[in-house]
Amino acid sequence: MTVTSVPGRRRTFTNAIKRLLLIDLFKGLAVTFKYNLRALYEKREGGNPNQAIYTEQYPLEPARVSERFRGAPRLNLDPETGGTLCIACDLCALACPVDCITVNSTRREVRDGEKVNKKKVLTTFFFDTSRCMFCNLCSEACPTDCLELTQSFELAVYHRSGFRWDREMLEKGVKYVKYNK
Amino acid sequence: MQALLTITLFVAPEWVRNLTGEKLPNVFWAEYVVWPLVQIIVVLFIILTLVAYLVYVERKVSAFMQARLGPMRVGPWGLLQPAADGLKLLLKEDIIPIKADKAIFQLAPIISVAAALVVLAVIPWGAAWATIANVNIGLLFILAVSSVGVLGLVLAGWSSNSKYSLLGALRSSAQMVSYEIGMGLSIIGALMFARTLSMNGIIEAQRADGIWYFLFQPLGFLVYIISALGETNRAPFDLPEAESELVAGYHTEYSGFRWALFFMAEYTAMIVTSAIAVTLFLGGWSFPGLDLIKDPNIYVIASVLVFAAKVMALIYAYMWFRWTWPRYRYDQLMELGWKWMIPAGLVNIVLTGILYVLAMPKSRGGFFDFMHEVNGRLTPTGAGKVFFIVTGFLITIPVSWAILAYINRHSPDFNLDEQRQLQIALRRERLKKIEAQSPAESN
Repeated sequence: MTVTSVPGRRRTFTNAIKRLLLIDLFKGLAVTFKYNLRALYEKREGGNPNQAIYTEQYPLEPARVSERFRGAPRLNLDPETGGTLCIACDLCALACPVDCITVNSTRREVRDGEKVNKKKVLTTFFFDTSRCMFCNLCSEACPTDCLELTQSFELAVYHRSGFRWDREMLEKGVKYVKYNK
Repeated sequence: MQALLTITLFVAPEWVRNLTGEKLPNVFWAEYVVWPLVQIIVVLFIILTLVAYLVYVERKVSAFMQARLGPMRVGPWGLLQPAADGLKLLLKEDIIPIKADKAIFQLAPIISVAAALVVLAVIPWGAAWATIANVNIGLLFILAVSSVGVLGLVLAGWSSNSKYSLLGALRSSAQMVSYEIGMGLSIIGALMFARTLSMNGIIEAQRADGIWYFLFQPLGFLVYIISALGETNRAPFDLPEAESELVAGYHTEYSGFRWALFFMAEYTAMIVTSAIAVTLFLGGWSFPGLDLIKDPNIYVIASVLVFAAKVMALIYAYMWFRWTWPRYRYDQLMELGWKWMIPAGLVNIVLTGILYVLAMPKSRGGFFDFMHEVNGRLTPTGAGKVFFIVTGFLITIPVSWAILAYINRHSPDFNLDEQRQLQIALRRERLKKIEAQSPAESN
């Protein structure tokens, strides 16, 4: 069994003076007043932990997410040609632990300069965000840095079918929210 | 002579007299009906708006102290929040519990809010025409009427037929009655200097003496502020509505506008107690340099603004205390009220009386000759002011603290601190015995 002992009564001169002058009460008052003052003059940035007011007014201003946050998926496009970077290798679908990615492709003849290659070409790409657990394994598996999890986190939809993102949504992204500030 | 009469006896301005069409000596309607009504409407409108906005200020202050923003969504910076709250309370369903005593249940909030609002009549909001009624026993009237507010709380708690309400009401009645005594005693020291109970007279006395009485009466001011916090049920003495223990205290069963009436009464009481503190101890509407204003109307408006600024500073202090300090335990609250505030008030009266008599002129049986007669009232000279300030801080406070500490430490009965220490000592002995019996198990 554990025996806890109660500390004895200390009645020293400094304690008596502290109690007489209400030092501890004034310390508390100083803390709250400092916060109040800083709240009045500091320029506010929502979500800054070093500021007197931490609050971020989310629907009015964009919410802060951490740098390594993993949110909505995106299929990146080649910045030079504008075509997709996806080579339909199916590695992301294989890597996915919850099987939420479906990649469909066809073999087609593609002209590359003078040569004509038979190549796998992406037709459709489905990403089920309701089953995704944002583990980033698909993005790590992707050899061409095509599939990526972005920082966007506004994934709510009005119907279950909206969770199933097709290739167009993945490439262009989904815009729901308009910020006033 | 005629001009003097209009200044001293008749307070209604000329346009009111023109409105009623009365000649100067017989101005009953203008003086006692029309002009007071105008004043009452203006004061009520301002105070009720102010009460609504005090709720907003309280929410903002608490938010800033807790690293939050407070109301932001209704209007710019949430400035329309009081209007939204008021509308919501008006539209709420009015619920009366089946087992409640219906008549008293409906009467209680009315008593509460009426007692709080009637007091506004005698508060000197500013110089000259800015007071509704200049009663010569104004302070007595305020103390008498505002204590009727307790009745509203007790009736509300009893008629609700709910244990939370009843406990809250019992606590609040005990607390308010206790702190009323301390409050009444603490103001007497200042009244000794003012020598009048009229609210305007007290301010005029401070102007004549050229000092604010909290410098003469630091202990009285302290006791008054603490007692006023207890009297208005504000934190750290908000036991009657301690959310964590009693749901909401006496107004647990109230909803909609009846609840809003209680809320209004609480915030009006806050304004009233700060107004009394400002009048008695902080010089009311007077301020150094205010007399430079020559135009009488601008002077009155400036004096009203000064008074409002002082009251708001005190109310901010109330809010500051509320969001900083934790709530007292009930026995600590009673101990503070009965064993510290009331004796401190009494000691303050005795010491102030002694010092006052010592400072009186030698012709009146005094000792130091620190006062002289101006316009038929005793006013401290420059040396007298220094004497009263120094003795107030260096004699009254330490002496009364020493006396109270001695009495409270050596009082044989009802010494809760002693009883707690006894329990702690007994427990320590018990634990030692257990430890001695089983030394192997302890590690």
